[in-house]
Amino acid sequence: MTRPHTLIDDLEAAESESAVAMATLVSATGSSSKKIGARMLVGRSGRLLGAVTIGGCVDAQVIEAADTLLDSGNRRLLAISLDDDEAWEIGLTCGGTVEVMLDRIAPSDEDDPLVVAHAVVSEVLARDEGAVMVTTLDGPAAALVVTEDGVCRGTLGSDESDVIAAEIANEVAREGSRVEAIAGRRYFFERHAPPTTLVIIGAGQIAMTLTKLARELEMRSIVIDGRDRYATQERFPSADEIRIGMPSEIVASIPATKRVAVVLVAHDYKYDVPVLRHYLRAPVGYIGLLGSRKRGAAVHDLLREEGFTDDELARVHTPIGLEIGGKSSPEVALSILAEIVAVRNGKRA
Amino acid sequence: MTLFRAIVLEHFRHPRNRGPLESRNAEADGANPLCGDRIRVQLRIDDGVVADARFTADACALCIASASLLTEHVRGLRLSDLGTISDSTISTWLEGDPPAARRKCALLPLDTLNRAVASRAAG
Repeated sequence: MTRPHTLIDDLEAAESESAVAMATLVSATGSSSKKIGARMLVGRSGRLLGAVTIGGCVDAQVIEAADTLLDSGNRRLLAISLDDDEAWEIGLTCGGTVEVMLDRIAPSDEDDPLVVAHAVVSEVLARDEGAVMVTTLDGPAAALVVTEDGVCRGTLGSDESDVIAAEIANEVAREGSRVEAIAGRRYFFERHAPPTTLVIIGAGQIAMTLTKLARELEMRSIVIDGRDRYATQERFPSADEIRIGMPSEIVASIPATKRVAVVLVAHDYKYDVPVLRHYLRAPVGYIGLLGSRKRGAAVHDLLREEGFTDDELARVHTPIGLEIGGKSSPEVALSILAEIVAVRNGKRA
Repeated sequence: MTLFRAIVLEHFRHPRNRGPLESRNAEADGANPLCGDRIRVQLRIDDGVVADARFTADACALCIASASLLTEHVRGLRLSDLGTISDSTISTWLEGDPPAARRKCALLPLDTLNRAVASRAAG
């Protein structure tokens, strides 16, 4: 199964550089569409490294500031206004302010606290667990990683700060990345969560597009079908796993966590019913069933007869996907992934 | 509703002998590769007699009904009598012939059961 891409991968790619500037978007106000925690690595002469960018109008200013940072070595917090008088007049401004932390990092320096912290996060994610990384926004660079089970690695410089940071990290793990102050100093609390695993039942046309788009969204995908002529590597080059057999038995071997999204697109009750029987009482983050309301109701009726409650059945999103008016398989796949992202981000129940 | 259809639906909704057989000493997996039916038949065979039979399946209603009826009827049969079960026997149990295009669905459990017995004999 694919290990999630992390900053460590980008630092490894940048190993030939003696030092790079790491820009991290730590806060945003106004209508910025930038994602907190977005990163960019900048080498000498503005060379962009790895696969991480902050994007938009912020990048140019960050690249410019990176040169200065690499010469001076002084980390700094950049406050960048997204307002622009000219753009404002024609209504094209983003509006708001973003804060970008600029750090100087030696990619091969195993003692650098930021490199160490990112390596720890990379290990945690590889175990399919989450963590919160806390870094200083002023003064010398320091980092603390708090894992899901409360284990702390690294330090912010004092036991007192570490204890308070670990408490805040619990909230951040639930609510998302943010900046917090402890004893007058500001820290960036960054949530790192393992990727969503898409469990796709049915190796048809919709599933083919789902695996392609899932890869773009950094989701893992597992395609499951009982038909070996459908579930092939040739048809699913982007899938992380292809498993052929009795679907209800295969899904029982996959850990059911809140990071699992189950997508039933076989459009065949022979798979839908037994797989739903397995997942309706499992703590997965999303269950979607392809089909009309009438078909969904019929499947619900069958399962209700077996003793499943209305609350349990209400977990199934059917018809599957956000209503975007799509008819083609790729459009349906897009609507399914949009719904999964919306549920994951708390924008849809 | 025809009797055939009523029997299929009854056994699909309330299948007999569904689930794993802990005390099995013979088993086989079967599949219809194009429609995707998947079944596993597990048997307990003692002194040449089918002492118990169960099945697990992700399959269509007809296949599950056929498996349900088959596992009901083979319990207590001598292995030497299993050869008397044919597609027409299954039609009799179902009170009708399956549609021609669905015969494979109805016969998959019997084929799988026969292979389970053969594997026991080979082992």
